[in-house]
Amino acid sequence: MNIDIKHIAKLSRLHIEDEKLSKFEADMQNIVDMVEKLPDINEELNLDESNAMTLREDKAVLNKYTRQELMQNAQSVKAGCLVVPKTVE
Amino acid sequence: MELFNKTAVELSSMLKNKEISSVDLTNSVFDRIEKVEGKVDAYVTLNKENALLKAQEIDAKIANGEELHPLAGIPIGIKDNISTKGLRTTCSSKMLENYVPPFNATVMDKIDNAGMVVTGKLNMDEFAMGSSTENSYFKKTKNPFDETRIPGGSSGGSAAAVAASEAIVTLGSDTGGSIRQPASYCGVVGLKPTYGTVSRFGLVAFASSLDQIGPIGKCVEDVAMLQSLICGYDKMDATSAYREYPDFKANLSSDVKGLKIGLPKEYFGDGIDEYVKVSVMNAVKELEKNGAEIREISLPSTDYALSSYYIISSAEASSNLARYDGVKYGFRAENYDNLIDMYEKTRSEGFGDEVKRRIMLGTFVLSSGFYDAYYKKAKLLQRRISAEFSESFKDIDVIATPTVPSTAFKIGENIGDPLKMYATDVCTVTINIAGLPAMSIPCGYDNAGLPIGLQLIGDKFSEQKLLNTAYAYEKLFGGFKLPTL
Repeated sequence: MNIDIKHIAKLSRLHIEDEKLSKFEADMQNIVDMVEKLPDINEELNLDESNAMTLREDKAVLNKYTRQELMQNAQSVKAGCLVVPKTVE
Repeated sequence: MELFNKTAVELSSMLKNKEISSVDLTNSVFDRIEKVEGKVDAYVTLNKENALLKAQEIDAKIANGEELHPLAGIPIGIKDNISTKGLRTTCSSKMLENYVPPFNATVMDKIDNAGMVVTGKLNMDEFAMGSSTENSYFKKTKNPFDETRIPGGSSGGSAAAVAASEAIVTLGSDTGGSIRQPASYCGVVGLKPTYGTVSRFGLVAFASSLDQIGPIGKCVEDVAMLQSLICGYDKMDATSAYREYPDFKANLSSDVKGLKIGLPKEYFGDGIDEYVKVSVMNAVKELEKNGAEIREISLPSTDYALSSYYIISSAEASSNLARYDGVKYGFRAENYDNLIDMYEKTRSEGFGDEVKRRIMLGTFVLSSGFYDAYYKKAKLLQRRISAEFSESFKDIDVIATPTVPSTAFKIGENIGDPLKMYATDVCTVTINIAGLPAMSIPCGYDNAGLPIGLQLIGDKFSEQKLLNTAYAYEKLFGGFKLPTL
């Protein structure tokens, strides 16, 4: 099978430099060849109820962290907001 | 014997009897770090100042006669993918080079509350993806038994630090063998607990359905003690198991009479080096001499585990790592034209090649047209592998296998060949796929003096049985041997 590395990279929001393209292609091909050896199994995937997760209540947690604490690791913050390139013309 | 070479159990009683102070002990460990870190390179970040403050606080409490946790005052190193409030947590990635968590992982709250002294953050493969710690953005950790060899991975820093006595105990994380494989290569004891036993809250996610935090130490008692501290239900982790756990150390027993040990023939095949097989079989025979019963078993789907593992873990990784976009935290590229370009450049410059490979493999197996052929098939095989283990545990108590097919390889030996690197995980990935507990304990040394590991696998939540078996064998074998550094 031919793997379109450029397309996969685009979906992954990655850019692969041209000189690394063939190495990535070969590596991916080897990995795909390995996983293609899996046998066909004619079974259905059902939900495993014994592994069901207990989800937290959908409730906002207030006052646990300050806005400043949560934004301290962001590269660009202005007036308490995260700054990103313009997205709407 | 120097303090840094002792076990947590020994040091705990010395602290309690006021033979030593935690400040003495902490200084001893940092002196050791200063002496050997240049050779081992186990740490990404040191925490000396805060460690000494914590040690002073514990000494004051001991002087006041306060009742403390047995691990209070004991120095512990933490894998750098476990969030430590106010202490840089990088996952050994350029992406998180300057990331300082505003919160603690649940395990870190437990460690802080018990009064343990955090020495620093330990090197790993970037985002825990790798088997040699060579994928770290910062440095290559060396095996304390031979500095030209890898310590294993991804928790290579955690295992090397214990072996080199740069920490008394450490925490690692295990997604496909990342605690057991380096523990085996570095001759120490490592436990991968049952999925759901230790809270994953604050563990930077790689493959959420497989990740589990676990302890590494020089002896089974240390590992048992640390496991009792870190396990337990946590509502912050939706996959946390709601149950009570015994005091593992208090319940340790080396009586193996009547213990049924299964030997799966698939784990002793052609891919396993002869000296590893011999060493593991000798260990099993020792247990047999002391009353254990040995049974040959079969786990026929073992051959498919590695492929299933790479499909499932990469699929989850591609989703989990989508969060690194340069906006909320982490690295951001300097020059870009627009939002999408910023994402692409940030991720391309911030991630290393192995991480990119796994993200792309995950994206591929989940993409339209390929999902059924890869991801669905892997999930079906996961169910089959789990069922085979469950069936086996109806008749036996513990399964014994090699942890890794060979001893530690040379730095650079496998770095250009992902498949060769992945193959070192062939004995360990099945356990994560099935959500079982397993541990690695030293069981011998090859001709070059490199450690060999025995892997013990148990049924879900059978950590006590595993620890008991390991404890029994440790007494017969003699336990951890210090490397010459």
